[in-house]
Amino acid sequence: MLRWCDLVLRAAAPLVPFEIRRDWLREWRAEFAYTAARAARINKPMPIASLPRALGAIVHAAWLRWDQWRVEMIVQDIKHAIRSLRRKPSFTAVVVLTLAIGIGGTTAIFGAVNAVLLRPLPYPDADQLVRVYKAPLKDLERIGGAVSPPDFTDWRRDNTVFAELAAYDNDSLALTGNGAAEQIPTGEVTGGFFTVMGTTPLLGRTITTADDPMGARGVVVLSDALWVRRFGANPSIVGQQLVIDGISREVIGVMPAGFQYPLRSEMWTQLRFSARDLETQRGSHYIQVIGRLKPGVTLDRSREDMRAVGTRLAQDFPRTNRDTTATVQPLRETMVRNVRQSMFVLLGAVGLVLVIVCVNVAGLVLIRSLGRSRELAVRVAMGAGRITLVRALFVESLLLGLAGGAAGLVLAYWATTAIAALDPSIGVPLLNRTRLDTVVIGFALGVAVVASVVFGTLPAWQASGIGDVVTRIREEGGSTTSDPKRQRMRSLLIVAETTLAVVLLVGAGLLARSFDRLLSVDLGFSADAVQTFNIALPDARYAQPLQRQAFVQALLERAATLPNLESAGAVFGLPLSNFQFGISTSTRDGVTLSDDEQDALTLQIRLVTPDYFRTMGIPIVKGRGFTAGDRIGAQPVAMLNQTGAARVWPDLDALGHHLQIGTRFGMGGERAGGTVIGIVGDVRDYGPASPAPPTLYLSHAQWPDGGVSIVAKARNGDPASLVQPMRALLQELDPDVPMSAVRSMQQLSSAAVAQPRLSLVLIASFAGTAMLLAAIGLYGVLAYAVGQRTREIGIRLALGAKRGEVLRMVMTQAGRLAITGVALGLGAALLASRALRSQLFEIAPTDLLTYVVVGVGLLIVALAASWIPARRASRIDPLAALRHD
Amino acid sequence: MRRLSITAVGVLQAIADGFQYGFDIIDQTQLPSGTVYPALGRLERDGFVKSAWENEADAHADGRPARRYYKLTAPGVKALGEAASFYRSMLPAKPRTARG
Repeated sequence: MLRWCDLVLRAAAPLVPFEIRRDWLREWRAEFAYTAARAARINKPMPIASLPRALGAIVHAAWLRWDQWRVEMIVQDIKHAIRSLRRKPSFTAVVVLTLAIGIGGTTAIFGAVNAVLLRPLPYPDADQLVRVYKAPLKDLERIGGAVSPPDFTDWRRDNTVFAELAAYDNDSLALTGNGAAEQIPTGEVTGGFFTVMGTTPLLGRTITTADDPMGARGVVVLSDALWVRRFGANPSIVGQQLVIDGISREVIGVMPAGFQYPLRSEMWTQLRFSARDLETQRGSHYIQVIGRLKPGVTLDRSREDMRAVGTRLAQDFPRTNRDTTATVQPLRETMVRNVRQSMFVLLGAVGLVLVIVCVNVAGLVLIRSLGRSRELAVRVAMGAGRITLVRALFVESLLLGLAGGAAGLVLAYWATTAIAALDPSIGVPLLNRTRLDTVVIGFALGVAVVASVVFGTLPAWQASGIGDVVTRIREEGGSTTSDPKRQRMRSLLIVAETTLAVVLLVGAGLLARSFDRLLSVDLGFSADAVQTFNIALPDARYAQPLQRQAFVQALLERAATLPNLESAGAVFGLPLSNFQFGISTSTRDGVTLSDDEQDALTLQIRLVTPDYFRTMGIPIVKGRGFTAGDRIGAQPVAMLNQTGAARVWPDLDALGHHLQIGTRFGMGGERAGGTVIGIVGDVRDYGPASPAPPTLYLSHAQWPDGGVSIVAKARNGDPASLVQPMRALLQELDPDVPMSAVRSMQQLSSAAVAQPRLSLVLIASFAGTAMLLAAIGLYGVLAYAVGQRTREIGIRLALGAKRGEVLRMVMTQAGRLAITGVALGLGAALLASRALRSQLFEIAPTDLLTYVVVGVGLLIVALAASWIPARRASRIDPLAALRHD
Repeated sequence: MRRLSITAVGVLQAIADGFQYGFDIIDQTQLPSGTVYPALGRLERDGFVKSAWENEADAHADGRPARRYYKLTAPGVKALGEAASFYRSMLPAKPRTARG
């Protein structure tokens, strides 16, 4: 036992400061010897408890070391470090700036990741919130899938796992009176909604199940934003009546700032189902369902429960529910699944930049510490041990790291503010919550410290060996920097930097190629000079189809008199507005289709006015377009896009054939549909990456819906110039019908690729930074090496070497490093680019052209960076060089 | 002056009670060695205890090397008195006995 204890003591001893090490060892040994002697006196072995006591010696030793350092470090090292950094302001500035870029960038992206993926959602006990979907049995992981009111009602009644289950629908309703009419994004919610969300109102009360019955009076809850913006935060708003979509509703409450669900909602009204809805709408899937799990219920348990409920409904209602069930997904998962991977790719990319920054700074610190050999040697001569020297250099690195971190935070503050202000149309939910909170600041601090360790430790350790080198200088009269070990270290840093830069450049290259492909996709319409906006006619005052048709027609007729208007049309379901209205085909040429056939022939339905196709530049490839005569009372007509025609009549020409779909647009009588009079070109409604859906166009004058988008083409090429005159026309026709979602088609096209564009811009800027850093690193190392080899090169020149040979020698050295780095980088990129696969459009992660361009490009940059030091080497004056050093 | 920690008070009290050697203090205070030794180090640095080596001859007669012992200095005695009364004042007052 005594031996074991002694072993521990000897292991811990090097930690103890040298001056007191002997006494320390003597004291501990004496105590153990005393323990052993006392035990021996009563013929017992040394107690086993001695071993943990010996482990305490390690703590003691560490404490002694720390105690000594504490004083020295705080007083001496920091003072010394600050002094030495101030002596080299340009070095300090370059390092702090480089670090600021790395730390600031990483922190900003982490801030976004934190907002979207990590921070709890802004609702109480948000981990209990789930979405419930109707999903096909063969795709249970699917997110999305609207629910029909009868299914929702049965789910709510039959489940045993939810504290509350609620339905909602996103809508946009016109708020009139109290100022100009305005279209407000609205959540229509059932009574349980606010119970599910768990947020208490700022004023008044929320909608409850008592408000659910059809007979209950209309109520509305305002968001804080709307309350402030529209009503000046009037505290007596509760109890007032508002006219919403032509119906008077009582304000019953105001939600606190920050409460937002469905995202972007500014007010909430009732979502109600009549007894008839619940009887007839089992096949109409249009509502969303959200629930709060009972405390203690796991996700798996809730899935099992809802699966059982879904199975029973499938048995009871096979026509609508066959092969489907109910699935449960955590709320956050439903919001972020699509963006998670791209966010992690971004974080990884910016992390690589940070590593490059560290490598670069390590190179700078290393070179600088070698330049300080005399100072370090003096310190060694004065008795500083290796650990002390490492510590001193490390404190310097830490100071640099913290300064870089502070500057990085300033950058990150600016960047997070910019990220939070990004247009929501890029489709990353919760991004507007990005800010520098304590977690993000803590992250930046952690990164700064870790970075200091990374870039400070190795060079410090290497430089601390300077003591030995000093001896060697004396013995050999050589130069410290021709030491092959140190040279190898610097070369290694350059290779590492180049490798990482190549990985980032390949990523950026792939995204750029993919983006180029996306932009070159023909969307099927011409976005030039087309302005769009939405109008929604309030149901209360435009209950009759003819009223709706007359309003839209009147608006378009008056618009036609505007001098700057080339043409205008209306459409229910604007391209690129993420509008989905898929209805199954019920009869084809008078023959009722089977359920399976009906589902297979689900068509996107669009209602358009005659001039819509001309305004949008969508070609009519066969037959004719709609005319003013295709109105209520006339023979019902229809048009298909090419994909739709090929889907419904794969072997025939669709012209002249007849089809009907499974809806009447609430107009009674026949199902919507008609004789196919024309075929139009395909339109990629959901952006360039999604193929055009099979689409059925119907004449708006035959099936007039009250919610349409107006498209108007400007003669002068400036679509925005049409907004004001159109707004005035609308005001004249009905001041209570607001204009909303005012955008040009160009803006919509641009928004459709906003997310890939953002990814590309970010990754490309990371890659650019990485390349610049790698080039600077290479330049620095070569310049330094040439400086140190001045004498050697001078001798070579004096002995008859040609200047071209010297140039070649330096360039070869650079080229070897660059080629190694590029080769390793291309290999690493081949592995890493797989993470990008889901973000690439029509480009393989192994795209040869990208790899070749990046490889060659980086080599050229590397050689360019080496050119200056190489040329300097070749111009060395042999006589001056021989006097050097 | 900074108030002594409970650990420091315990160590000082043990020394005052005559437990002067490292392991004896550990046994007396029931604190781990990794706590007691740094505490002793701090107390010595602050001038509350002084250390010295016991007589070599006595130790050798006992068949072992000499141990280091610690004793209180005058400031140490004073600090212990103040700290002990402070910590005592934080204890709850003695429970009153019910009347009758």
